[in-house]
Amino acid sequence: MMSATETTEGWEILHIPPADLPCFPPSQFPTVDVVASQLDPKLANTLIRRLNQIAPLDNLRHLKRVRKNFGRGGNTQLSIILCLAHLETLPHNVLHLVNAYHLTPFLTKVAKYAASSKEEWQEQCQLWPTSYHPPTYNIDGITGFSEEDSQSVFGFMNMAIKLAKSTPQVVNAAIIVDPSVRQVIASACDQTCSSHAPTENNNLETDCKESGIASSKCQVVETRETLASNRDYEQTESLSGVSCLYPWTWSERHRHNGNSYSWHPLRHAALVAIEYAAARDRRLFPGSEHAHGQSIEGGHVPPSPKSSPAKKPKLHTSREEEGPSLKTCSNGFNSDAVRPYLCTGFDIFLVWEPCIMCSMALVHQRIRRVFYAFPNLKCGGLGSVHRLQGEKSLNHHYAVFRVMLPEETLKRGRN
Amino acid sequence: MASIMEAKSPTTIAFMEQAMQQAKLALHNLEVPVGCVIVKDQKVIASGRNRTTETRNATRHAEMEAIDFLLEQWQQNGISETEVARNISQCDLYVTCEPCIMCAAALSILGIRSVYFGCANEKFGGCGSVLSLHPAGSEEFPSNGGAQRRGFKCTGGIMASEAICLFQSFYEQGNPNAPKPHRPVQTIG
Repeated sequence: MMSATETTEGWEILHIPPADLPCFPPSQFPTVDVVASQLDPKLANTLIRRLNQIAPLDNLRHLKRVRKNFGRGGNTQLSIILCLAHLETLPHNVLHLVNAYHLTPFLTKVAKYAASSKEEWQEQCQLWPTSYHPPTYNIDGITGFSEEDSQSVFGFMNMAIKLAKSTPQVVNAAIIVDPSVRQVIASACDQTCSSHAPTENNNLETDCKESGIASSKCQVVETRETLASNRDYEQTESLSGVSCLYPWTWSERHRHNGNSYSWHPLRHAALVAIEYAAARDRRLFPGSEHAHGQSIEGGHVPPSPKSSPAKKPKLHTSREEEGPSLKTCSNGFNSDAVRPYLCTGFDIFLVWEPCIMCSMALVHQRIRRVFYAFPNLKCGGLGSVHRLQGEKSLNHHYAVFRVMLPEETLKRGRN
Repeated sequence: MASIMEAKSPTTIAFMEQAMQQAKLALHNLEVPVGCVIVKDQKVIASGRNRTTETRNATRHAEMEAIDFLLEQWQQNGISETEVARNISQCDLYVTCEPCIMCAAALSILGIRSVYFGCANEKFGGCGSVLSLHPAGSEEFPSNGGAQRRGFKCTGGIMASEAICLFQSFYEQGNPNAPKPHRPVQTIG
């Protein structure tokens, strides 16, 4: 389930949350019946302990076992959930407690799922108290984008779409961006099958402003026509070059002009962009592999004390590619202070939702936010098939957004 | 189970020993100690070790290193995609730690025959610990004109304690790449 966070002229950015939590309008959340009873507060501890043993609320962990009411005269009244009410009679051991402590069972409704928002939680607590855990991470954009930030997101997504169409066959494209200065760090297309030698593409290193949202509208329309409206028979043909959509088809390709090709089944756009970003890092900050002071764990963590979660680095204002100023920096002049750890703090824009391999690569490289335009229903790692942003065991979590392209503009384009 | 017998067979151990050598090489280079070898027709045809710190590319796992070496070699020899696919389907990977989600997906994309690993990878593992990307494709992903999702056979726990020991010595030697608040680095040699 997605929730709309921002709309700007038909473009829309949807947050794709870590868990596919059911989202309900206030007062319409599903409930479940439980058997509860009032109890003497002195018995509370004993009963909670016993009931947690004999009738644990396994799939209802968001529920508080005990409810406190303020009765007439200011005295507090406690009620406790005895068990779920799905059986016709109380389980034997619960009945035993009821008799032993002279409880007075009654039926009541409680919220079936944990609340997904503060508002929903407040509604739920009217029925029976629940606990509410708001998202533990706070990444820009989850609570909405400013007009300026939205425009920046749309600009970079537009750039990715153009890049995806810049090759003879439509491919996926990835652009890694430093959002603090709105600068492209690296960009790449799929290189699973490239007819020319792959070169590092820095031509696109340009400000978002230059990409020109307004002037690029018609380009978007054209792209949308090609990319989104050919779901059916055309899809396997025209989108077969998108590596993340068809990762397993590489072996079925047939070459005509043998040796001039370079190909690699795993060189999906995201992986190549990560490679370019790493190369840029080495170029800008040479010789400090071991001085930087942070481990690159590489996805293999033994049982050992864990490092603290990656923090957003102090970002510098200027990061020119080459030139004398960098020499000063690279000669050891406090280069650690400005060098980000991997892609910490960076965003990536992809035309298609990355496959599970690419999704995990983005976790490893510590990308902060992932934006994609089209879902990947068969192999997607960020909501469609898997949902890596919600895998709790991982040591890094990015925020994921889908960028919706405008429908009206599409229709206008057809006329 | 047959796999347990196989896991203890001398050849399996011998190949895992070679993967372990790669992991030690990684450790020597101040990298997280993971190593692997790729075996075809009972011969090691590629090896790789973790190079994430050196490359500043956190995707440069041992598996990816070995795969890249192999693909480049085969391509230089003018071997076509179809032939490469056939070759890989006769290859086995021996790796000291369970492949992460990314590597497990990559191995499935390539269509490797089987994977033998050392210790489990509780936080990132793609062969059972976090996700299970190794079972073969089902009706869930009908082949839509494209090739089917490929699965591979997976056997874990081979020389697992040795693999864990390497990880422990990596952290005990005072991980030079550990976050700053950690204890100071001891220079080796």
